[in-house]
Amino acid sequence: MSSRLQAQHLFKVFGRRPDEAVEKLRQGADREDLRADGATAAVIDASFTVEPGQIFVVMGLSGSGKSTLLRMLNGLLEPTAGTVSFDGQDLTALSDRELREVRSRKISMVFQHFALFPHRSVRENAAYGLEVQGVPRAERERRADEALALCGLAGWEKSWPDELSGGMQQRVGLARALATDAGLLLMDESFSALDPLIRRDMQDQLLQLQKTLKKTIVFITHDLNEAMRLGDRIAVMRDGRIVQTGTAEDILLRPADDYVASFIQDVDRSRVLTAEAVMDREVRGDEADCGCDTVTPHTPFTELCAISARVPHPVAVLDEGRELVGVVQRRRLVGFLGDAQSTPVSCDAPRDKGGEKEVARA
Amino acid sequence: MPRIPLGDWVNSTVDWLLGHMAWLFDFCKSVFTGSYDGINAVLQAPQPLLLAGIFAVLAWWLRGSFAGVLTFAGFAFIDSMGLWSNAMITLSLVLVATIIALVISVPVGIWAARSDRVSALVRPVLDFMQTLPAMVYLIPAILFFGTGASAGIVATLIFALAPGVRMTELGIRQVDKELVEAAEAFGTTPRNTLLRVQLPLALPTVMAGVNQVIMLGLSMAAIAGMVGTGGLGGDVNEAIGQLNIGLGAESGVAIVILAIYLDRMTSALGTEVSPLGRRAAARARAAKGLKIWSYRPQPQIAVVGVVILALVAGGMGIFGGNGDSATTASDGGDIGKGRKITIGYIPWDEGVASTYLWKEVLEQRGYKVEARQFDAGPLYTALAQGSVDFQTDAWLPVTHEQYWKKYGERLEDLGSWYGPTSLELSVPSYMKDVDSLEDLKGKASAFGGKVTGIESSAGMMGLLKSKVLKEYGLDKEYKVVDSSTPAMLAELKRAYGKKEPIVVTLWSPHWAYSDYDLKKLKDPKDAWGAGDGVHTLARKGFSHDDPVVGGWLKNFKLSEKQLTSLESEINKAGKGRQQDAVRVWLKDNPDVVDKLAPIPSGSSAKSADGRSVLDAE
Repeated sequence: MSSRLQAQHLFKVFGRRPDEAVEKLRQGADREDLRADGATAAVIDASFTVEPGQIFVVMGLSGSGKSTLLRMLNGLLEPTAGTVSFDGQDLTALSDRELREVRSRKISMVFQHFALFPHRSVRENAAYGLEVQGVPRAERERRADEALALCGLAGWEKSWPDELSGGMQQRVGLARALATDAGLLLMDESFSALDPLIRRDMQDQLLQLQKTLKKTIVFITHDLNEAMRLGDRIAVMRDGRIVQTGTAEDILLRPADDYVASFIQDVDRSRVLTAEAVMDREVRGDEADCGCDTVTPHTPFTELCAISARVPHPVAVLDEGRELVGVVQRRRLVGFLGDAQSTPVSCDAPRDKGGEKEVARA
Repeated sequence: MPRIPLGDWVNSTVDWLLGHMAWLFDFCKSVFTGSYDGINAVLQAPQPLLLAGIFAVLAWWLRGSFAGVLTFAGFAFIDSMGLWSNAMITLSLVLVATIIALVISVPVGIWAARSDRVSALVRPVLDFMQTLPAMVYLIPAILFFGTGASAGIVATLIFALAPGVRMTELGIRQVDKELVEAAEAFGTTPRNTLLRVQLPLALPTVMAGVNQVIMLGLSMAAIAGMVGTGGLGGDVNEAIGQLNIGLGAESGVAIVILAIYLDRMTSALGTEVSPLGRRAAARARAAKGLKIWSYRPQPQIAVVGVVILALVAGGMGIFGGNGDSATTASDGGDIGKGRKITIGYIPWDEGVASTYLWKEVLEQRGYKVEARQFDAGPLYTALAQGSVDFQTDAWLPVTHEQYWKKYGERLEDLGSWYGPTSLELSVPSYMKDVDSLEDLKGKASAFGGKVTGIESSAGMMGLLKSKVLKEYGLDKEYKVVDSSTPAMLAELKRAYGKKEPIVVTLWSPHWAYSDYDLKKLKDPKDAWGAGDGVHTLARKGFSHDDPVVGGWLKNFKLSEKQLTSLESEINKAGKGRQQDAVRVWLKDNPDVVDKLAPIPSGSSAKSADGRSVLDAE
């Protein structure tokens, strides 16, 4: 039911003579060069693909162009150059009317400040997209109630938006987006306005829903922790350009440049890394033969630490087929936490002789 | 700096518009008068107290029992002051102006909200309309739309349009951008975005604009009264003209009652029609608990109440109100055969007296006569433009000289019916040693060095400044203070009460001479010149269209005794009963009707019991 979203060489330039500006940008001009001409480049040559059922997070600071990028995906803003295709359809080639049709059926959006209609009840808000589609009242109310229930708001249908807390309001926003059964969900800093605890709740709920709904989701955030938690893949934007696209671990372990590197300093690695990222892939083959606990490549770092503390030797990593794929050494875990991955130095007077035995490696 | 002839441009534009766009103005005029007549007919039809009841039920529904009771009391009070019918005229005028203002201003406001360019264009136009002094566009309004309701509506409209546009634009622009974006993101068409999101959310602000439109419309009521609209504005003008503070206060208070009622009702309606406002009000009520004076009936009950009262009113209109419709004149005297004649008058005593005399006489002769009150300028404009048939209060050749210069060729002078009048400076008789203009010399300090004058535009003011004072060598000593006729009279009244020295510009006949003991200063050098005659002026071609009435008017004469006795009869009867006073006076002067309006050969006149037209009021 969900489909692939593809953006190719998207440009968005505001101000005077945007087409010329795009040409200059293609030839290597940067934002500052254009500002003199009275043009502002919001998005520069953005390309990415979101596979069906993926959560694609676009991460960047304010002014990096991420919101503009998002609005080009559903045609709220028309790209200056480049194409967006979803479900095999080139959105940039559609007329206004066709584009509205696509927006009402295939793409829905969740907003930063919820954007609930204050003059409509919770149910009427959730049913809004269906109302636009022209779904008869009885059916749209039924579907709206279902969507609300899915978001944990059963029983609140007759309330009004201003009677709900921020988190609940955003659940209504989410229900409104889900009620239309659109395959593509655009989320514009949707959890940024919520306080941290509620934000975690909402992130968990989104991940939970995504397990069953399998939507294609583009999620905008300025919070790298959130990006790492939610994103199957993450794009980091800076000054209108996508500087790196990859999984959370790619970004964390192999930042493309100093800018991205400076970002990830604040990230809580233990929440992001999994066994796969820290394991040694060279194995003898008998590490899992004992009866000790083993982990999978997806086991989170914290859990890995806990097991590593119990097991007297490196922890074995087994894949879905119970095949040994690697081992995790305790020292590596500590090293990752401290962001030190260099070769260990030896001590002049080792105190702990009975400890872990160094595995010799060339 | 070369002279930029803006005035000439405006004049030629107005002429061009008159010549080429008449059809458009005629169309607007018929829309305005049509809707005004309709609403006015509905409001005038029921018994005052029944209609007051209907208003009260509406107030009860929108705001609660206390408001309902107050409403009834307020409207009953208007009725008791005898201002009901005028209040309803004003109300109809304001309602029509408001409806038309909204029909124009809401779409313009929406347009301005959606386009910055339109907004930038509209804003100075609105400023212009709101601040241009009303009189500046009142006269052109008469030229374009004729006098009466439509000119009043146009004046009100121009003044009241701005807040409607501004508040609509503001309301729509204030709607959270994210909400509009949300609507678009779900594929809403621009039209539905407007209807389902922007307008509902802008509604409280738009309603505040509606409220402002109504308030400004009411505040224009007095000015609209100057162009023959009648209503409370006419009363206010009349009261000002005659320095009748009591009547002024009564009609002023009636306007205030209307204003407060309309204000409270529209603001309550504003919360009632907007979903957000409804919820907020419901919550506030729930918090306060049910109190008897804030109890509001269900809409159904209110509708039932209004319908019952309206049915009663309608029933009474059908079964009780048919006495008014017989307008045939007494046998033999029916010359007019129901033809309509409109008389315009300035609320000066001799104008009121002669106008109502002619109204009564012509009605006895079978005409349908409408007497409309004007300010002098608008009256001449109306006459030249043909929407008034004649007026009896033209002071020529001096006082109304500038009007005659402008409009003379489009008017027909039917001759003077009273005169000569005189212009003079007057002092209270307690100024013992001042009897002549010559006596003023050297006494400037006693009078504070000033002569209290009237409007600087008046002919006699020019004469006074340029000729009279010079002639007596007073121009160095005295300064002529320009003010207005009512202000001059008020100043006279104040000084007279305190027995302070004062010298004012005055003319005879004037009621001030009967109210105060005044001395006309002698004019041995004849500086004022010969006095005016009070002329009857008709629109061009009137005596051709109606040679009978034209002939009567040409022969119209009143003696000083007749005029003053008629005036005092009218002053005794008081406001709203002028025509009754005329009838009383005619009983004492039984031959006047036949003398003024002799029936051409054959038919015999019966004037004594010729009272056939019931007073419309």
